[in-house]
Amino acid sequence: MVEMELKRDRIVIRLGTKKWEWILEPRYWRNTLLWAAFLMIAPAVAYFYSPGLINTMISANIYAAIAMPLALMTIGTGRMNFGPQFYIGVGGYTAALLSIAYGWGPLTTLPFAILMSMVAALIFSPLVIMARGLYYVLLTLLLPLVFLEVTFIYTDIFKGDTGLFGIVPLLDTGNAKNNFLLIGYFSTAIMFAYLWFINKILKSRYGLLMASINDDEDVAHSIGININKIKIIAFVAASTLIGIIGWFYAHYFSSFAGITYLPLTFMLKVLLVLMIGGRAQVFGCVVGGYFVAFLEMLMIRFMGPIQPLLFPIILLILLFILPEGLFGLYRKRRYREYLPTIHVRR
Amino acid sequence: MGTYIQNVVVFTFVMGSIYLLLALGFSLICGVLRIFHLGYAYIFPLTVYGTWMFMSALGWPLIPSILGMIAVQFIVSIIIYKGMIKKYMATEDVLLTALLLVALIIEQAANYFYPIQAGVYLETTLAEGTYQFGDAIVPKQLIIGSLIALAMTGAFVFFFVKTKTGMAIRALSQDIYSSKIVGINVETLYMFTMMIVLLPVIIGTLITAPVWSVEPGMGWMYMVTAILVAVLGGLGNIKGTIIASFLIGFAHAIVCFVFGEPRFMNLSALILVMIILVIRPQGLARSESLW
Repeated sequence: MVEMELKRDRIVIRLGTKKWEWILEPRYWRNTLLWAAFLMIAPAVAYFYSPGLINTMISANIYAAIAMPLALMTIGTGRMNFGPQFYIGVGGYTAALLSIAYGWGPLTTLPFAILMSMVAALIFSPLVIMARGLYYVLLTLLLPLVFLEVTFIYTDIFKGDTGLFGIVPLLDTGNAKNNFLLIGYFSTAIMFAYLWFINKILKSRYGLLMASINDDEDVAHSIGININKIKIIAFVAASTLIGIIGWFYAHYFSSFAGITYLPLTFMLKVLLVLMIGGRAQVFGCVVGGYFVAFLEMLMIRFMGPIQPLLFPIILLILLFILPEGLFGLYRKRRYREYLPTIHVRR
Repeated sequence: MGTYIQNVVVFTFVMGSIYLLLALGFSLICGVLRIFHLGYAYIFPLTVYGTWMFMSALGWPLIPSILGMIAVQFIVSIIIYKGMIKKYMATEDVLLTALLLVALIIEQAANYFYPIQAGVYLETTLAEGTYQFGDAIVPKQLIIGSLIALAMTGAFVFFFVKTKTGMAIRALSQDIYSSKIVGINVETLYMFTMMIVLLPVIIGTLITAPVWSVEPGMGWMYMVTAILVAVLGGLGNIKGTIIASFLIGFAHAIVCFVFGEPRFMNLSALILVMIILVIRPQGLARSESLW
């Protein structure tokens, strides 16, 4: 029997032992809603005034969509993964190879990309239990590099040097500008879906358990939390979400090359989105994604050939002057209860 | 069969010694400072492009240019220690990201001022031609490099085992607080370590520069090799680093000469390290002590 109860700031829905809450109080969702509306309107405005900006927005959404699962993984496993791009490679190559071999479209390749990312994550998930200290950092750092080597060795399959071409595009309306707009909205939808899903998880009972692992693994274990189960769930779920981004990249560009996504330099960009956005805070990842993508675009446009040198210098300065990242500036005004800690040496 | 064995033995020695030279600094930083120096990649392009800068921009001859570059390397390492490592030791996420950014900045600076088409080439060849050991043919430069690597490692071992400063650094690597109590100047020794570990890397890079490829992004590849050696050996242990260097050299030699598949060289080392880490997560030797 469903029971509904209206409280001052929320509606509480009960079904048996389950309970859901729907927040009514405007101050809890007003800012989020305003920013969501802005991000939904922005591609349409850019479509008429500067269509090139849609491309930057897509990059921003996708950076955020990689950094958010990484934040979830960092909190849930209590340690920092330095090779999340491995799962972009798994998802991307699965989609690309299937699409080229069988002419499959994005909807057909998606379940396989998810499945392969999940299987790969399950295979490597014991690392979060076995590897301690800096060795976890090292193993996760090496994993994408091993994969990159494989793409160069089996170049007849992966085309490691040139990349795979001829993948069925994500959308094809016959008009490139319209394609961009629709893909822009699709990337925004992915980003919002990830934001909603990960935020929900982190605010749920499982989120609390993950936070306790993040704060102190031994204490969490001593109070009866099955830390291995939580860590593996967090690792596999986050890796699968990152794998889906690989699928997106493959179909968006109609090509996929491991050399673009698997080296340390791509990982560094994801790491910067996570750190400059807000040190593993989920909303901070969105801020970080947009900041890094737009800063890069503006510098390419106005700085010319010195941009690759100035871009990391600016990010280095920001890393030092923003102890809680860009989102921390907002967080100072609107206090949130839980601030995740990024642990490297576990 | 004899040819295989000769090639494997000779190239295990040569490659192992060169890897030792490239990785010794990384391993020592891990051992003494107990941090994972992800900015290590910057040392390689700074060695080559720093020397080239003095030669091309100031017109200095080779040796003064190398000395100038070493001075620049020392200054950069002090800045990194004082500005980053010391300040952000407690927040390793920030530290590792910052160190990676430093490596990227140096790479991009090298690329901006001296792109590939600038044709950077260092005349650091010590001996032209090749040596022949049975059926194995090796460039003389690499053989001399191997001997220098062994001598250098011997000097480092002597320094850490026999000298007072070396023993103080070893004490520091085991326990900072106890070291402070017995009057060791931690700050000075940290900075000193940051500077002396540069020497094997610089020498290794200068020796391999005429033989292997030189480009702004060269540091990442060398850093991966250094990471593999240091991890396999047990972070910071010199004995382990020596064994690991030759083990990876052996893996590379086997893959090249027995299987005839040089493409698998890097992969074989990566897989070897991953397998050993799963079986023996602390590496081959104890990482608690330097020796």
